[in-house]
Amino acid sequence: MNNKKIRVLIAKPGLDGHERGARIIAYGLRDAGFEVIYTGLRQSPEQIVSAALQEDVDVIGLSILSGAHLSLTQKVVDQLKSKKAEDILLIVGGVIPEQDVASLKEMGVAGVFTAGSAVSQVAGFISESVAC
Amino acid sequence: MQASWETLLDGVKKGNERSLARIITLVENRENGWKDAMKRLYPLGGKAKIIGVTGSPGAGKSTLTNSIARELVSRGRTVGIIAVDPSSPFSGGALLGDRLRMRDAVNLPEIFIRSMATRGALGGLCQGARDVSRILDAFGKDVILIETVGVGQDEVEVVKTADLVMVVCVPGQGDGIQALKAGIMEIADLYVVNKADREGAHEVAADIGGMLDIASEGSGPRPPILKTSAINYQGVRELVDVLVHGFDAGKNRADWRALRIKEEILSLMESEILHYLQDKWDRTGDLDKAIHQILKQQTDPYSAADSLLPLMREAFGIKETT
Amino acid sequence: MKDDQNKCDCREKREQIAREEKSWRENLVNKRVSRYNLEKSPTCFYTPNAIKDFDFLEKVGFPGQYPFTAGNAPFDFAKANEKLAAQANYRPDWGGSRGVGKYGGFGAAADYRDYLKRMHSMGRFGGPNMAFDLVTQCGYDSDSPMAEGEVGRVGVAVDSFRDFCVIYEPYTGDLEIDKVPSNFTINAPCAIIIAMYAELARSRGVDPAALRGTPQNDILKEFIARGTYIYPAGPSLRLFRDTLQFMRKHMPLLNVNSIGGYHIREAGATRTQDLAFSLANAAAYIQEGIKAGLDPNDFLTKFTFNAFGGSMEIYKEIAFHRASRRMYARMLKEDFGVTNPKAMTIRQPITAHIGCSSTTLQRTLNNWPRAVVGGVAAGMTGSLPGVFPPWDEPLGLGHSQEAVQMQLDATRILMHETGLTDVCDPWAGSYFMESLTDELEAEALAEMDKIRGMGGAVAAIESGYMPKAVAKSAYEKQKRIESQEDLVVGVNCYTSDLELEVTINREVEATYDPALMATCEERQKASLRELKRTRDGRTAASLLSSLRTHAKDENRNLMPDICDCVKNDCTLQEICDALREVFGEAQPVKL
Repeated sequence: MNNKKIRVLIAKPGLDGHERGARIIAYGLRDAGFEVIYTGLRQSPEQIVSAALQEDVDVIGLSILSGAHLSLTQKVVDQLKSKKAEDILLIVGGVIPEQDVASLKEMGVAGVFTAGSAVSQVAGFISESVAC
Repeated sequence: MQASWETLLDGVKKGNERSLARIITLVENRENGWKDAMKRLYPLGGKAKIIGVTGSPGAGKSTLTNSIARELVSRGRTVGIIAVDPSSPFSGGALLGDRLRMRDAVNLPEIFIRSMATRGALGGLCQGARDVSRILDAFGKDVILIETVGVGQDEVEVVKTADLVMVVCVPGQGDGIQALKAGIMEIADLYVVNKADREGAHEVAADIGGMLDIASEGSGPRPPILKTSAINYQGVRELVDVLVHGFDAGKNRADWRALRIKEEILSLMESEILHYLQDKWDRTGDLDKAIHQILKQQTDPYSAADSLLPLMREAFGIKETT
Repeated sequence: MKDDQNKCDCREKREQIAREEKSWRENLVNKRVSRYNLEKSPTCFYTPNAIKDFDFLEKVGFPGQYPFTAGNAPFDFAKANEKLAAQANYRPDWGGSRGVGKYGGFGAAADYRDYLKRMHSMGRFGGPNMAFDLVTQCGYDSDSPMAEGEVGRVGVAVDSFRDFCVIYEPYTGDLEIDKVPSNFTINAPCAIIIAMYAELARSRGVDPAALRGTPQNDILKEFIARGTYIYPAGPSLRLFRDTLQFMRKHMPLLNVNSIGGYHIREAGATRTQDLAFSLANAAAYIQEGIKAGLDPNDFLTKFTFNAFGGSMEIYKEIAFHRASRRMYARMLKEDFGVTNPKAMTIRQPITAHIGCSSTTLQRTLNNWPRAVVGGVAAGMTGSLPGVFPPWDEPLGLGHSQEAVQMQLDATRILMHETGLTDVCDPWAGSYFMESLTDELEAEALAEMDKIRGMGGAVAAIESGYMPKAVAKSAYEKQKRIESQEDLVVGVNCYTSDLELEVTINREVEATYDPALMATCEERQKASLRELKRTRDGRTAASLLSSLRTHAKDENRNLMPDICDCVKNDCTLQEICDALREVFGEAQPVKL
């Protein structure tokens, strides 16, 4: 009688307050059958990782539009490492210039979703990546 | 699987948060061995005080929960928070957003927050929340706050598992108070008028008082009504005083506990039986057959249930009693 | 007698048209619909019957006259001088005319000061048009843990009055602060920036009454979109009131605010929500001013709007601007008893545009024709036919010189080669456009009624209604794109391998020195340490304490306290923290 649900944390690190993308993804993933923990604005990397651990999520989704995606993502990755939680799938969305996508993937980001990405694409990516 | 349960249980005993989070997930998912794990966790707990927080949407429950947790921590207690939100009946997914209102709680190491979706699973949310609070108890949290939206029956049931039930109201929600009449009034130990800096707070408190007087027919003690403004921590200290005091009184009576244990055993049995039958009938196709017949208007749900009863009795080896 | 005859003729004509329309629909339209196997006709056609009781003077009127549907003015400064501008090779982005300079700001205060000096040496003498970093916008100092990695990034860091003074060092003599205007894109801590501006003038012996410029000062939209709020909406509006009173008394030339629907629409709001929420916000500000005993006939002449949102739906955007002007003027006249025509217009630099959210990352160069469509709509709604944004906007790297050139030239082509802006409100009287305008107005009015029923904009924000409505609209729009109900070229259609990705050379001017960006956080922190070491700490503490005390009295104007704090080197965060203690912090909206 297994009752498993994929759990996803959606967070906005930093002070940037543009929430449109994060909210769309949160709604969309809910409608794709995931349990979405939405932590909202102004989250520090420490807060994000601590929430992800308490909520035991399978996936962390970061939404960043301020241009600070490289440094903020690196901090989240470092936090995950120090908490031995690299098994959590990390995806990033927002305004990400093409040349930074490779750097993000090198850090350990599994998927990068920029403007024009479909929610169904993100949901599909998560379902495939998270072994049920 | 067995080994991993061992490791996790060990982790919980040692105070490892990741193990705690993991075990909650496995129990919530009803992974094989969950009940054995709960059997092992049960004797570790029993010390925590459980507070149910409910009230209409927009009453500021999460903010209030946050302030209460912060105040409890400042008094040297550790806190677990279970924040419940509904699952979507269509997709089965859920949007769990209470954390974002718990500004202080997310930063304090003494506090562990877990968001839970109702999942609409067989056996109900009630047992799920009870399991999680028990795990948090076993982990060593002193106080556990269960926060739900007090609109559905499910949520009312959840707060019933608490030692103390707190109902949160706000000024300017006349309808909200009306809605409270149904079901929740009997189980509330405490009323909080939040956002009390707003106009109409005094009136809301008076309305609730009036309603309670009528309900109690003017006799017996009346649950306290407190005013807070959780966003700037006003009235929170007084509220926590009342809560702490309330732990020692109220519903911790033996008969109340016995009633709750009875309910829990029945609910566990109910979900086991339902799972068992559903599983069996899924294989035999009896249930599908009945559904099909009802859809074709050859029979009705009542007759179908009656005709399925012998199957159940057979399954459990019960003789007909009537 | 003659009137009756006219009416009679009219009715007869209308009935005839209705009959003809019916038969046209049956004989022509429906046949085609079934021939092509459609559910309904993909086109519409409008007759005079679409606007039966159309009253020109009531609905449209003359450009520059109530109800301003046809425009704020028959023509403006830019139109009057368009030929001269062409002959003089004018570049609007340079601020050469000692108007407002180019929007910008980065790094530590000294970095932005040096940048402005460099601009001056190149002949770009525009007044500071300041972007603040998110740390400042959210009311923190550079040494706050919240600031890490954000100092000086999307704008300049201002931690204290000393920083503010450093930025203005290049503005002396011919460029003294009463000779050039300043713009401040700041909302939550706006009161502090206004106090700094006033104190800067006083410290230089300049009368604050001579200062010009525009602070954004539109905090309510931050709760609906953009998210740089500090206090809850109620106390935030009280701070707005304090700035309004202060500016009208001491800085009467300064614009009060720059209200916007732009961010609201970009966050996903529908056209109707954009219009209704912006005007509901405006109504809240006006109400607050009136409650404080000020005369709207006076203070509204200093209200400005930055922009509403935009989209690719050109007809609807044109209708939007016609409706917005009429609704605003009517609201002021009927709800607030305003009589001064100068107080009744939506003062904004541009009207229609497509909005950045209409641009696509896919086949990016396609954004150029997209933006031109917005320029055409702008030209038809009473403003400069501004082509916006530059096509490389979604690349997120800053605009290239090439994209900016193409944007400028497209605007100039519309201005000088097409005759687009030679007619005011060219759509006036169109059966289609008038009915579309009426429709949008009715929808927005219904939405505004709903908000009024909730207790106004502040209540609709605090209950989460407005932010949630916007989030839901954004999601609905996304679903329409994913289901191909809405089509976006290169994104969800025409995406086969046969399509060609067209690219052109792009050179992004390194506006800001990356080396300075890398060190600005440390330098700001060092200045803060220095400030705290050298200031009179006791005075600062006691001023903050009285600010806290006075903040508790809702009727008290806090600007004098804030001015004192600023002048005595209290930091921006210290001031904000004092108010946080009293007002609390705004709660994010649960979806």
